Amino acid sequence: MSVTDEDLTAYADGELTGAEAERVAAAIAADPALAARLDAEKRLRAMLGGHFDPVMTEPVPESLTLMIAAAAADDAEREMIDTPASPPAPQEPARILDFAAARARREAAAKAATPPLRLSPRWGAGAAIAASLVLGLVVGTQMPREGARTTQDGALVATGSLARGLEGRLAADDTPGDLRVLTSFRRDGGDYCRVYEARATSGIACKGNDGWTLERVQATGQRESGEYRQAGSTQGDLMAAAQAMASGEPLDAQQERAARALGWVK
Amino acid sequence: MSQDRFCEELTALLPRLRRFARGLTHDAADADDLCQQTVERALKSRQSWQDGTRLDAWVYRIMRNQWIDEVRARTRRSQTFTHADEGMNVGAPGDRDAENLVELGNVGRALARLPEDQREAVMLVLVEGFAYKEAAEIIGVPQGTLTSRLGRGREALLRELGEIA
Repeated sequence: MSVTDEDLTAYADGELTGAEAERVAAAIAADPALAARLDAEKRLRAMLGGHFDPVMTEPVPESLTLMIAAAAADDAEREMIDTPASPPAPQEPARILDFAAARARREAAAKAATPPLRLSPRWGAGAAIAASLVLGLVVGTQMPREGARTTQDGALVATGSLARGLEGRLAADDTPGDLRVLTSFRRDGGDYCRVYEARATSGIACKGNDGWTLERVQATGQRESGEYRQAGSTQGDLMAAAQAMASGEPLDAQQERAARALGWVK
Repeated sequence: MSQDRFCEELTALLPRLRRFARGLTHDAADADDLCQQTVERALKSRQSWQDGTRLDAWVYRIMRNQWIDEVRARTRRSQTFTHADEGMNVGAPGDRDAENLVELGNVGRALARLPEDQREAVMLVLVEGFAYKEAAEIIGVPQGTLTSRLGRGREALLRELGEIA
């Protein structure tokens, strides 16, 4: 049986199933001309994707998300007015889509749409250091369990040796130990932030009025007992997150030293 | 019916909507206008969306209809006669069109030359990944009409891009 153009494109578009798909697949395998045509179809898709997919990672105009957020807020309000007799159960508060959440989702979507690690060279350097073998766990400066305390508004603030390390260590330091600072940067508003890697947790800390607030904390990738440990992919994620937070390039060694001298106060 | 889920899903859909708009309009500013109008319309009629049905197809249909209205309005405004092979994509001042075409890559230029009906079929199936049945529903035509437009569109693209003789 012959394979028509329609059969071939339907096959390329994933519209055929079962015996029909098998028949076309067999014909393509046996006929170089059909195979070439299928390749052309694949290239067309790839070209179209190459042309249009970058739109997906562009930032979505704020006006769109704000419009949706406003509508969601309207809905929430209306629901509360409409149902005065049965207030919502306390464990199920009305979910209001706020701007920050919308932005977070957008960033998550953008992150999902881009390759996981697309760090610019200067950010990549920190990740490269983290991904190399890190020598030694020097016992003696171990972080105490209570490396962080919670503030009244729920933020995590570094204490103890973590706070001291964030305050005093430089990314340029090669000193082995339980805490390494991978990079430092400034975020919008001018706060200093630092990406750190400690024995059990890694994260991003930013200096505010309360001290070093942990903006992001995650378990340090693959902890291995013994003399050597290898950084997991978590550091790559952290560097990507830091790059997204930063208002510019990471600090170089000189800028870092200057910032430390000023106590990381903007 | 959960309204806040509607808003969440619509927000998540925005990057894809912008891509589809870019394909329909082949102009970034027009695409953003189209997105704005589409989201406005979708929010206005959100009560009529049936929970459990695909939100993306529903919103794409709104966008597509909105764009067709816009193209018709432009055609009326400009009263311009153009070649039949430019399809419904008429009305923009000539110099602006030329500018747009310069900025587009080969594939974008080839797509921009397709008649409107073929272009939307190509966008929905080859870029947005809808099944024939879904794409036909979005446009509101029988599946056979969709596949014939898609076939003509992809063949023109392949020829223009030098992929087939």
